[in-house]
Amino acid sequence: MKHVKGKMPVNFLYTAGVAGERFLREIKENAKILGVRCRKCDMVHVPPKIYCERCFERLGEWTELASEGQIETFTMCYFDADGNRLAEPEILAVIRLEGANEGIIHRVRKIRDQQVHVGMEVKAVFREKKDRVGSVLDIAYFEPFAR
Amino acid sequence: MSIKIKEYAGTPLREEDLKQGKVLSIGYWPKAKYNWSAGVAIGRYLAELKNARIVGRQCDKCGRTVVPPRMFCEWCFRPNDRWVILKDSGVVNTYSISHIAADATRIKKPLIPTVIQIDGTTDAGILHLVGETDPKKVKFGMKVQAVWKRPEERTGAITDIRYFRPIER
Repeated sequence: MKHVKGKMPVNFLYTAGVAGERFLREIKENAKILGVRCRKCDMVHVPPKIYCERCFERLGEWTELASEGQIETFTMCYFDADGNRLAEPEILAVIRLEGANEGIIHRVRKIRDQQVHVGMEVKAVFREKKDRVGSVLDIAYFEPFAR
Repeated sequence: MSIKIKEYAGTPLREEDLKQGKVLSIGYWPKAKYNWSAGVAIGRYLAELKNARIVGRQCDKCGRTVVPPRMFCEWCFRPNDRWVILKDSGVVNTYSISHIAADATRIKKPLIPTVIQIDGTTDAGILHLVGETDPKKVKFGMKVQAVWKRPEERTGAITDIRYFRPIER
């Protein structure tokens, strides 16, 4: 069968934006996760935004969140973004941190003797300060913990 | 900018801000490779181009011959009926004179991308280039003939036809 091969050069550079910048800098410098509260609808957004997506209110009340939270939903990934099979499957989860009304997407590791499940308590594991670059991966992963 | 808009809302960024790491950013270069199967009709069409032949598909119900070929008549909503070997000549259906190349660079000698209605077909046509002519002399309905690459250069692609040149009536 006749076929045509090709490659699409789709390169991009994405900036974190005003709120994302502050969020990532705080992770990098202080290993702290920030959210932002909407005064009008009393909702804490994380990752932070500059406008509330519910009521369009300008946001400005920055608040520090716990690095612990619960798994809201998760998926097991067997392939990377380019479709190559991973040596070890990766768990990607939406994690709702304590004090937030929204979840952030991150990976969960170090699950030893229990099954990953919705509602599982997890906490952020930060990279060493010298290794932090201002990326959400400055949180290396989330791992289960017992209260 | 206009009379009413003096400045844009938002946070202006310059390329240096990104290069010097003044703002955080992430770059990503996905491996967007593809392999597109030509299918039954276009597969044979391309294979025949390697033999310097243009083939179409004919529908018995409407009598139409289509090129590039497809296996289904979109007028009659039924599979069409047979392969037909067409002449490698046709008429200019519509054309454009392009002073820029595909990558938008300016070129000295303009290209003439043209829809060529192949002889023996009744509508539309194939998109190709007209050459060996002064762009000013190209006319709708002008008769043109395919100029093929040499057999050893042909790969089974539409570019196996280098261009179409005008033929005198």
